[in-house]
Amino acid sequence: MRKFSEYNPIVVAVWFFSVTGVAMFCNYPILMAISLVGAVLFFTVRNGLSHGREHLFFWVLFAVLALANPLISHNGKTVLFVMNHNPVTLEALLYGVNSAAMIIGVLYWFRSFTQIMTSEKLLYLTGALSPKLSLVLSMALRFVPLFGRQSEKINNAQTAMGLYKDDNIIDDIKGRSRVFSVMVTWALENGIITADSMEARGFGTGRRTQLRHFGFRAGDIVLLIVTLLLLGVTAAAVGTDSLSIDFYPEINIKAPDILGISGILSYGALILLPLIIETEVRLKWKYLRSTI
Amino acid sequence: MEILAVNDLTFTYPLCSSPALNNISFHLNSGEFTVLCGATGSGKSTLLRTLKRELTPLGDVSGKVIFCGKELSALDGRTSTASIGFVMQRPEQQIVTDKVWHELAFGLENLGVKSDEIYRRIAEMASYFGIGDWFDRDTAELSGGQKQLLNLASVLVMQPQLLILDEPTAQLDPIAAADFIATLKRLNQDFGLTIIMAEHRLEDVVPICDRLIVMENGSLIADSPPSDAVNTLKSRPDILCGMPAASRLYAKLSGSESCPLTVREGRSFIESNYGNTTRGFAQASYVHSDTAALEFRDVYFRYTRDGRDILDGLSFKVYSGEIFCILGGNGSGKTTALSAAAGLLRAYSGRITVLGKKLKDYKNRSLYRECLAMLPQDVQTVFLKNTVREELEECGAELSKLPYDISHLLDKHPYDLSGGEQQLAALAKVLAAKPKILLLDEPTKGLDAAAKLNMISVMQSLKEKGATIVTVTHDVELAAVCADRCAMFFGGKIVSIGTPKEFFSQSNFYTTAVSRMTRGYFDNIITVDDAAEICRINGRKEFYDAPDKK
Repeated sequence: MRKFSEYNPIVVAVWFFSVTGVAMFCNYPILMAISLVGAVLFFTVRNGLSHGREHLFFWVLFAVLALANPLISHNGKTVLFVMNHNPVTLEALLYGVNSAAMIIGVLYWFRSFTQIMTSEKLLYLTGALSPKLSLVLSMALRFVPLFGRQSEKINNAQTAMGLYKDDNIIDDIKGRSRVFSVMVTWALENGIITADSMEARGFGTGRRTQLRHFGFRAGDIVLLIVTLLLLGVTAAAVGTDSLSIDFYPEINIKAPDILGISGILSYGALILLPLIIETEVRLKWKYLRSTI
Repeated sequence: MEILAVNDLTFTYPLCSSPALNNISFHLNSGEFTVLCGATGSGKSTLLRTLKRELTPLGDVSGKVIFCGKELSALDGRTSTASIGFVMQRPEQQIVTDKVWHELAFGLENLGVKSDEIYRRIAEMASYFGIGDWFDRDTAELSGGQKQLLNLASVLVMQPQLLILDEPTAQLDPIAAADFIATLKRLNQDFGLTIIMAEHRLEDVVPICDRLIVMENGSLIADSPPSDAVNTLKSRPDILCGMPAASRLYAKLSGSESCPLTVREGRSFIESNYGNTTRGFAQASYVHSDTAALEFRDVYFRYTRDGRDILDGLSFKVYSGEIFCILGGNGSGKTTALSAAAGLLRAYSGRITVLGKKLKDYKNRSLYRECLAMLPQDVQTVFLKNTVREELEECGAELSKLPYDISHLLDKHPYDLSGGEQQLAALAKVLAAKPKILLLDEPTKGLDAAAKLNMISVMQSLKEKGATIVTVTHDVELAAVCADRCAMFFGGKIVSIGTPKEFFSQSNFYTTAVSRMTRGYFDNIITVDDAAEICRINGRKEFYDAPDKK
């Protein structure tokens, strides 16, 4: 009864890296299409119709990437037309579209990944690797915005005292650089207090543990196993060249054998997993509400 | 039971000729609430830090600190970390991590406690402190008071036996400070936690503490229950100036029975010793100049488009040459109003006039040239250089023109100065632009009583030189002593305005301790000096004559 994003971060991360890993290490067009469609679908299911600007940016980038390849690479047999004494070929165009689908698909996945992986989940992930690394990350996450806020405060204070004599860019830059230099002092000075506070609370007395904010539930384990299984089948298909394609000199796509077909189906299923989970949760809620 | 004993402790910082702590001996009994006070630089912080091994500064130490029968240096790391808790002054800088729950867990994580156990302990602590609601929040979103409570809670999860606090409320507003102190009292009462706390805002803590230790120049000059301590220090106005109003009044009138500490005790002290045939002074009506130095007319401001109005139709006038104090709770928009007056924020509707000219018409930052300047709340933001001398040279400040003397501070780094000294150095920098209107945001925050008195006299001498001063403050005592007019800020506008006498005798809650003490017995008495004066006029009730106080 959890949304996909509420599953254990390790499971979610494994799923994300499986999906994007396959997309990045293979160039089979059907897999690319599945990845791209799945990524867009996943993003819109999570966000609805907002984020119009991001969509626009991604699709403009898609067009640029797809069209850049045939203009630069002139390999391929089938010449579509000649531009500035250079042939523009069908193969290069298709290759461009295929790689653009891969890149944009992965970009969409990572956009969703950053939405789901809040700082807390990242800390949990890094904490599983090393508690110390996780602490450093946590301190950085606190400190970076703090630094920004303090320099804004200093800047305001200096403005209200007349540090900036004139309203021009050079004076602004001079003022800003002075503010930056004092920010370094400030950071060191305050770092001492933070260090004292850490020391007083026993930092460095022994081996650190880390508070686990997320537990492993049965559902997490099931999802993890399913993810790894589907990934295994897909990877086997990709790795044994059951799913391969050559673009140059002419397009040579092998008809997939049984392993290839099951690879495609597994990848499709892998990408549908979160959507299935989300839909199931929604339906369950609806059902529960109707029985109340 | 004795939990901590300090025997002949002497401490000298490296390269210093005179010791910072000089032959100090005292002991703390288990369950005692002890307050340590003394002027800035008297060695309070050094003493407290030598009681916590991890924070003991470098230097020559002689003498012994014994904690639970063992010498401090002989304790093992875990005991010394967990059993002695330490909370420092600055709420923001003590926080290590970005999430509230992680901050609470930090100490226990360091001790290698198991995850389940950590969860249990921080859950318990969060419930006790009512942190549950903001358990998942970013630490950056918390208010100063919440941050300090979090610091306290994240020390207490380690279950200390002794809690040391070094001026924990100095950076908090009075309401948050009272809340914090009430929490300490509760911890002391409910769990018998031994507490030693350095503090210079004594109004709230002295009445609830068991013992008052007073330090001067590295030595203890008093160590006894608070009313006895005040009694022995009766002839030391420089130390008494931070004490509760009732005690100061008692000392001024040289009372003889036990010293009153709270408003209630102060009231009964006055009523049982002095008559009230003369109930108040004749009041001169307040005369102000006709020109307005700063005027707000129906000003509206909000930070975000969808947010609420922080300034909600704010209108007021500040006449030139007066000290105008704006009081009000946290988040009522006081600081926002000040920033709007300084042109840092732009109101979306309404008009702000500075010296008869619209704020918008000050082009090219001419507003900040010989016209208006603001001293921000966090004075550290004023400094940009490595020494005070460079700071003053940078902005062309002339020492001889200042109404106070800071020549002894010139070669120090601005961050190394005490709170009061920082305030004066920052003010010197602000005054360099020769402003006609001076905006001060919480000028007495974090200052000890002596520095506060100094600040008040600086403000008064600036006023004599013709400056108009607008100050935002939580400090009702400051407003009562030095303001010409006070205004109460609430919900984005000013709801009441008047001279301190009218203002404080009308309000019931937001008023000075003296006003609460004398309400209904005398009229319009709001400061200790006034109260002492009227008591003398009325004379002692007893059959023997009061000693002559001239």
